[in-house]
Amino acid sequence: MRTFLILFLILFPFAAAYPIYPLRRRNRHYRDVYVRVIAAVELAVSLGLLFTPGKTAVLSRIMGLGMQFQAGSLSTLMAVLSAFLWLMTALSSREYFANTEHCNRYYFFWLLTLGALMGVFLAADLFTLFVFFEIMSFTSFAWVAQSEEPIALRAAQTYLAISVFGGMALLVGLLLLYQMLGTLAFDRLPGLVAALDARQHTRLLVAGLLCLTGFGAKAGLVPLHIWLPKAHPVAPAPASALLSGILTKSGVFGILVVSRYLFFSGQEWNTVVLWLGTATMVLGAVLALLAVDLKRILACSSMSQIGFIAIGVAMQGFLGEENALAAWGTVLHMLNHALIKLVLFVAAGVVYMGTHSLNLNDIRGWGRNKPLLKTMFFIGAASIAGVPFFSGYVSKTLLHESLVEMIRELSAHGADTTAFETVEWLFLISGGLTVAYMTKLYVALFIDPRADNQRFTAREYMTPATRFALSLGAVALAVFGLFPQLTMEPLAQWAGRFLQAGPGHGTIHYLAWENLEGALISLGIGVVVYVVVVRVLLMRWEGEREVYASVWPTKLDLEDLVYRPVLRALSFVGATCARAIASVGDLIVLAGEKLLFLRAPGVFVPKRNENFGVYIRRPKRFLIGETFAFDLTLAGIGLIGALVYILLR
Amino acid sequence: MLLVPIVLPLIGGILVFRQKTEKTRNRLTLGVMAITAAAVALVCLLPEQSLTLMDIQGSLQMGLRSDGLAKFFMVLTTVIWLPVGLYCLPYLRHVGHEQQFLGFYTMTLSALIGLALACNFVTLYMFFEMMSLITVPLVLHNGTPASRRAGLKYLGYSVFGAGMALAGYFFLSHFLTTQNFVGGGALNRGLAMAHTPLLLVVYVVMMVGFGAKAGMMPLQAWLPTAHPVAPAPASAVLSGIITKGGVLAMIRVTYYMFGPDFLRSSWAQWLLIALALCTVFIGSMLALRERQLKRRLAYSTISQVAYVLFGLLLLTPGGVEGALLQMVFHALAKDTLFLAAGAIILSTNTTQIDQLAGIGKRMPVTMWCVTLASLSLIGVPPMGGFVSKWNLLLAALDSGSPTAGYAGVGMLILSALLTAGYLLPIVTRGFFPGKDILVERKEVGWQMTVPMLALALAALVLGIFPMGLQDWVTGLLGQIF
Repeated sequence: MRTFLILFLILFPFAAAYPIYPLRRRNRHYRDVYVRVIAAVELAVSLGLLFTPGKTAVLSRIMGLGMQFQAGSLSTLMAVLSAFLWLMTALSSREYFANTEHCNRYYFFWLLTLGALMGVFLAADLFTLFVFFEIMSFTSFAWVAQSEEPIALRAAQTYLAISVFGGMALLVGLLLLYQMLGTLAFDRLPGLVAALDARQHTRLLVAGLLCLTGFGAKAGLVPLHIWLPKAHPVAPAPASALLSGILTKSGVFGILVVSRYLFFSGQEWNTVVLWLGTATMVLGAVLALLAVDLKRILACSSMSQIGFIAIGVAMQGFLGEENALAAWGTVLHMLNHALIKLVLFVAAGVVYMGTHSLNLNDIRGWGRNKPLLKTMFFIGAASIAGVPFFSGYVSKTLLHESLVEMIRELSAHGADTTAFETVEWLFLISGGLTVAYMTKLYVALFIDPRADNQRFTAREYMTPATRFALSLGAVALAVFGLFPQLTMEPLAQWAGRFLQAGPGHGTIHYLAWENLEGALISLGIGVVVYVVVVRVLLMRWEGEREVYASVWPTKLDLEDLVYRPVLRALSFVGATCARAIASVGDLIVLAGEKLLFLRAPGVFVPKRNENFGVYIRRPKRFLIGETFAFDLTLAGIGLIGALVYILLR
Repeated sequence: MLLVPIVLPLIGGILVFRQKTEKTRNRLTLGVMAITAAAVALVCLLPEQSLTLMDIQGSLQMGLRSDGLAKFFMVLTTVIWLPVGLYCLPYLRHVGHEQQFLGFYTMTLSALIGLALACNFVTLYMFFEMMSLITVPLVLHNGTPASRRAGLKYLGYSVFGAGMALAGYFFLSHFLTTQNFVGGGALNRGLAMAHTPLLLVVYVVMMVGFGAKAGMMPLQAWLPTAHPVAPAPASAVLSGIITKGGVLAMIRVTYYMFGPDFLRSSWAQWLLIALALCTVFIGSMLALRERQLKRRLAYSTISQVAYVLFGLLLLTPGGVEGALLQMVFHALAKDTLFLAAGAIILSTNTTQIDQLAGIGKRMPVTMWCVTLASLSLIGVPPMGGFVSKWNLLLAALDSGSPTAGYAGVGMLILSALLTAGYLLPIVTRGFFPGKDILVERKEVGWQMTVPMLALALAALVLGIFPMGLQDWVTGLLGQIF
């Protein structure tokens, strides 16, 4: 039964994508209903996974190596979460796409991506995961390029390049692993890795780092994050919600698998992940603080939150057997972040539909008289900022707690704790920056005075379907935040099994002072940063009023400054070399024509002379006789003759 | 029985020359190809047969034998030949001189099947030269001075290469226990050991010679000249199948005459691997910088066929398996691409890639085929190209020498990135041209789209379900190693 459910979850969206085009030809309405029904069916079936016991599904020899699927624990959680997000975005998409072209294309790739994503989360071996991961990369390309604006096309190009590069790195990593271990099935990896001899550990690490490159590219880890702040803002809002909320998680999922099943507590590996995560966290938060585009802020914030999650991944490794808090924090932050970004991006879509702009200066004050939107947005913002009593607080506290525990343990052994203390402070500061940029967004949208030239929207600024999607996401967040012991902890314990999390230590008192302390420090930093940096340094007077200024110089762009020029230079050098090597053959032929066959030089043309006239070259009638190829033909015929002679002799 | 698939297209081709009306000509061409396909299928289903055509002198014979490799190559050829043949019919209406093209096209099939069935070097050489000569008219079909020059360049390279191989054979024949091809090599070990350096030089000469056909360095230069000027179906089979004829000859030389055991870890193997990898690199790199569609595809062929050579030269079962799979999937994908290029030329009259923005909205079916084929060439799952590339890369890692293995993996991955770089922009610019480019839909007829779709979908389906193909190839390996 479960085998059937798993395969259905993966194949159904692939099959269901095709009727979109004929349906649209009949009526737009049919198509819109159709995609919602598909998403609802998908959600129902994925919930069915919870109630069906069973084993893994194996399709032997598909794609050569065969595919294995499994459900349960984190896999099921992520599958249900994806289906939920898909349904919610389906509800809000109709309104968003009411007046745009190429919706069929969007929905088509939207469903293909759902199928691929299900494949990623339900995979039971890295090969299966890779196959669906690649499909997902290519199908989600269409989302980014959907609007066909020049900026979107450029972002899509970057996204595609990074995806292809990451995919190839991942491929090599998996090849190395497969060659070393002989299998890529999750459950067999730890045993095989333990049996490797010490000489192969470098190789294992190289393979792991290549996998990290591939998965990190999708998750948006530094230095392959460049596509993320560009691609998420240009995609349609429902697609941005999915890109930020769940597609990046597929990369995180891959990193989790590699780090939990290959490098259980490998020191080098966890150090790399820890520092990459920290860099991503800080950079994302700083970029978000400096941006003035609503969706760009949200995209950079996604990047920063992925950094938080990556720290959780690394801490699970560092803490060894005591890693329950880190594992729970990681899982819960993945879950929370997906829901938060659903709410925030759908809200951003509503704002965009109302104002046709995403610039903070154009949209400021738009939400002043919209209490529902204001509430939803507040719940999302407070959650992501880690305000107590909201869901983000719980997951961030768990992550922070794991850092604290590590420091405590190290100092108990008298070891050096500088590195982890640095990470902890950066963690708190990034949390503070999160508070600051979410406050900036909230104040700009809902508190600042209304900007000029804004159209006064009708009372119905969002359809009931969008309102429903938004409310459901926000209510889930609120419930999670208010009753963590009832909701989030069981979920985390259940999903933590996949991550081989150790047992926890009794109940966690979220409102104990030691837990509140970190959140309050972050909030304090946030308030200070908001007051000092955002209100003072990042505001500029323009005429009568204060505007949000974009102080990040556009020139300072890793992609434009480094990646593109380097690629151009490399391709130039490569092509020059290739041209030189490739013309060796032709040069020999040319030399042969000039040297070997001493042709009569061209007919002598004397200087123009009235008395003698000019010899004109006769037009060639038999071109063939002139060529080197003809001579070679003769040579070949001669060789045939020689063969025949030898044979007959 | 073995003669039927060789003689039938030969006679059929000659008859096609004489047909004046389009209808009878098309029917005859397709009929001959269909019957040939049936005969090929029959030969493949029957157990191995052999047939001696004539005794030349002493132990030298002309003969045919349907061993595993022959069956594999015959089926590959026929499977590609039929859809491309169907595509030819409407395409040629725009080019003219249909009976000439179709006649030679049909006759080429005969040469290829003969090449596959040849049981010793002399027969192979004869069919190889026959293939070169018959395909020249396909290349210079357009009749422009450029195409004539290209045709002769092609002929020159092929004949020169084959001549090199033949010269090598004069030396080699002395050291063989039997003139017939024997899986695993037919060298007289005692005699050969005494003359190893000479034999290795001979091996390199023969491989470089046949490498001319397969587009291996240093004799690869005919490909980018010949492909752009030839009609699209001719380019398709030239790239997809004829280059594989060179590969087939190289397999025969390596695995059926010298034998992998003799060559393993010799300098000749490393030299040829280096040449193959070099070819992979220059092919991809030049394709990336090329602005003309068909020439870009020609460069791509150079690099992709060199993957096959790399796999073969690893001299391991895994390498050969990857190489044979790559042969199949490259043929499917590249033929799709060339047919699509032909359709694009017919529909838009342009061959410059810069002018192809929005082509996906103009010709959606064609461009979907191009998308699938491009993904297959890059090696993206679930396309077939991924399966072959996975096998090749794994074989490279498993090969005895880490240097060659890592160099091969690095080069193949670099080439895959470059392949993505030169194929994907066509697709993305085609489907996402930007808002200001408006195009009307103008797809080519079903006779042209159906063959493309068939080939592209074959690459997809065989990629997801490669079991049958893999079993077949594994069975083949048993005869070699």
